Amino acid sequence: MRRRLAFASLRRRRARSLLAILGVAVSGALLLDMVMLAGGMRDSFRKLLLVRGFQLRIAPKGTLPFDTQATIGQASEIIATLRTNPDIVTVSPILGLKLHVPSRNVTTVAIGLDGDVQADYELLSGSPVSGADHIVANQAFLDATHARVGDTLTVAVGYDTPRRRVVIAGIARFFYTAAGELVVAVPLATLQAMGGPAVTDRVSLFMARVREGADVERARQWIADKIPRISAISTGTALQQFDQRMGYFRQLAVILGSISLGVGFLLVTTLVTVSVNERVGEIAVMRAIGVSRQHVVEQVVLEGVALALTGTILGMGLGLVTARAFNAILSDFPGLPAAFEFFVFRPRDAYAAMTMLAAAGVLAGIYPAWRAASLPVAETLHGEAIA
Amino acid sequence: MCPRFSAVVAGFATLTLVTALAAAQAHAQSSIAIDERLAAAAHLGVGDRVVLASEPGVRGDTFVVGAITRRGADPSEVARDGYRVRLHLGDLQRLLGAGDRVSRFAVTSTDPARTLERINSVGFGFRAYPSAEIAVRTSKTFRVLRRFHAAIGVITIVASAIFLLCILLLKVDERRRDIAALRLMGVSRTSVITMVVCEAALISLVGTAFGALVGWVGSLVINWHYQGVYHTPLTFSLVTPGILGFAAGLSILLGLGAGLTAATRLVRRPPLALLGR
Amino acid sequence: MTIAIATPTPRPLLKSELLSARALVRDYPVGGEIVRAVRGIDLEVTAGEYVAIVGPSGCGKSTLLNLLGAIDRPTSGTVAIRALNVGAMTDTQATLFRLHNIGFVFQRFYLMPTLSARENVELPMAEAGVRSAERATRSHELLEYVGLADRERHRPTQLSGGEQQRVAIARALANRPALLLADEPTGELDAQTGAEIIALFGRLNAKGTTILVVTHDEDLAAAAARVIHMRDGRIIADETRRRS
Repeated sequence: MRRRLAFASLRRRRARSLLAILGVAVSGALLLDMVMLAGGMRDSFRKLLLVRGFQLRIAPKGTLPFDTQATIGQASEIIATLRTNPDIVTVSPILGLKLHVPSRNVTTVAIGLDGDVQADYELLSGSPVSGADHIVANQAFLDATHARVGDTLTVAVGYDTPRRRVVIAGIARFFYTAAGELVVAVPLATLQAMGGPAVTDRVSLFMARVREGADVERARQWIADKIPRISAISTGTALQQFDQRMGYFRQLAVILGSISLGVGFLLVTTLVTVSVNERVGEIAVMRAIGVSRQHVVEQVVLEGVALALTGTILGMGLGLVTARAFNAILSDFPGLPAAFEFFVFRPRDAYAAMTMLAAAGVLAGIYPAWRAASLPVAETLHGEAIA
Repeated sequence: MCPRFSAVVAGFATLTLVTALAAAQAHAQSSIAIDERLAAAAHLGVGDRVVLASEPGVRGDTFVVGAITRRGADPSEVARDGYRVRLHLGDLQRLLGAGDRVSRFAVTSTDPARTLERINSVGFGFRAYPSAEIAVRTSKTFRVLRRFHAAIGVITIVASAIFLLCILLLKVDERRRDIAALRLMGVSRTSVITMVVCEAALISLVGTAFGALVGWVGSLVINWHYQGVYHTPLTFSLVTPGILGFAAGLSILLGLGAGLTAATRLVRRPPLALLGR
Repeated sequence: MTIAIATPTPRPLLKSELLSARALVRDYPVGGEIVRAVRGIDLEVTAGEYVAIVGPSGCGKSTLLNLLGAIDRPTSGTVAIRALNVGAMTDTQATLFRLHNIGFVFQRFYLMPTLSARENVELPMAEAGVRSAERATRSHELLEYVGLADRERHRPTQLSGGEQQRVAIARALANRPALLLADEPTGELDAQTGAEIIALFGRLNAKGTTILVVTHDEDLAAAAARVIHMRDGRIIADETRRRS
């Protein structure tokens, strides 16, 4: 009967109930988006870091991977040192340079890597980087150069460095490059040779994979101790740096999320309060005929919860739509890996948002309900009679 | 820019900084300029000697701190935590073993378009860009942020509009008996609507004024907070007359619209029906 | 016709005594002053009586009814129903007591506009934990008794004033209360409809329901077996017209 009364009260004033539900839905959508933003980007970044299972990055001292144009010298010595640690099972060296294709007037990012241990691309068709003059390119490069798999191109690192003829062996999707960016993967030795003495035995970055069950932080510390001229960065450290740099978005998420929750709460509490004020006579009569205070409170709180829950469910759907739109806007950030997402849906985010809004709905109804149920019955009836 | 200094691209090389109180050098040493954050972190002052090297563990050169600089209000620098050191070009080239290489040139020309065309037609391995184009490219981050903020703004405006409409509907509904009495007395629909809309306009005006104050204070807080976080004089949030005018106009418009909608709904019903008969 | 004058001295509760009020006082703060709405009333009502309380507006009759019905608490004095001091009960106790022992009928009906006639009658039963099937049966019986069995699915807005009041009476009888209290039950009804309600009260009392009505309606007062006259918060006359 209480449920019946609660829903009947909401149906009685359809326009305002619908508006309140809509308002809660929009607030709920924004709240879900902000919860997704607060946790999702970190998740996305972590997945990106671990896409091939490499838990450690080794960069020039004091820098983050590819944050600067600095390189690490005596790379082969470092590889040998890393291999002495039984916990480190794979080391992938990477050199990043610009490569020019003079005949097509195209400049591309070139990633020099060891094809056997590479972690930068996923081959879509053709063959991987194997032979000294075989390269793998992304579709954007092929489109820009009007080339196909099997074509031969003449490339060079700079004006005064040797040119080289290379064959496009395969098409790949590169994990860490921005959408639309031109990228090719080249055998490391080939790129080092093309770059001349400035990059002989030098790399931009190492990625290291630690064996399963081993302590990644311990391995990181070992590397930092053994090779003090580099910076060893674990996934955890990288995430901390990420949190620092993306702090603005997390703060924005918290602020906007709180405001959304507040607006949703205010809307429901206002509606319930006005609804209760309009029905003090009815409530007084219910109390007069023997309905307990608690049951009156429950009925009114149910109204608030019904509004909040209905709005929340709608809001979850709306939130997923707006998250896609926001993601599309933010994915235009220059230099952002195409695989990175700001808004990542995780069921626990939806549960969190729904729980918060439902709780807000309950709280929103409690005070006006208790006030109404506590009104002196006789005085209220007398006041209603006069009115 | 002073000819004695040239800009150092932050990411050109890893510079390992070693602070040393070196003995007096027989020959004159080159001077460098360091940013104030580095000066604070490494406890350096003008006149101090430092050794700069291109890599850790490599022998470097001694320089004298000739100046301490403050980071400019450059948006592209905001999230970058790295320190900045400015050297004479020749010193840096020697330090890095870069020979006769630079990262880029800045060119002034009496005929920029023609110069651009000529450089691009003869150059290999580099391109010339108008400065304006560079500015556009480097500001892409902020254009993306601007669009993001605008999208958030649209959603909050929609939520606010719904909220406002709901509240005004409630308020007007609460007064249906008063409105019924007025209508029974002979007051016209137009007069009742005008009365309600005026009330809504007044609420909107007061709300707008209050909201503008909250927004202005919020803006101050945002600037104070992020200037502290990023150690920058950059202004992150700005309340301009245009923004204020837009916000005020929109909220008043929404208020009037909501008031009109609520009032029209009510006067359409017969007065006796409003009294519940 | 005998007239019994209320005496201030307490006397022992009689076996058939359902309601007893002693030295009942109710004060209200109004604009900084204290208004004494009920001034030391003694009253006994036996089971099965049909009592009307009459008097000019503002004499305190509705206040008295609220005190007797445990809706309001006396400033001093006692109200005992079935030998229980309802004036000393907590709100929760009083609410529960009203649910099972007292039925109310109001001048303005106060039906729940969002519920049907049948659901309005079921409301007190639902609160008392009566099962759904039993509620349905009893509410149908009650509506049949008041002559509205064919209107049980109608909402209050679809019923006339008299029909609404009859639904309200059926609601008041839902939990088989010992006492039926009515405050101006014909106040908003026309003469003919009012007469129907008066007749209904008569039938209820004939079946043994104890009824206390507050009224300005002379016809309703005439239908009662006992009429208590009030003025300025006091009982000035207590007139037994016939045995109920």
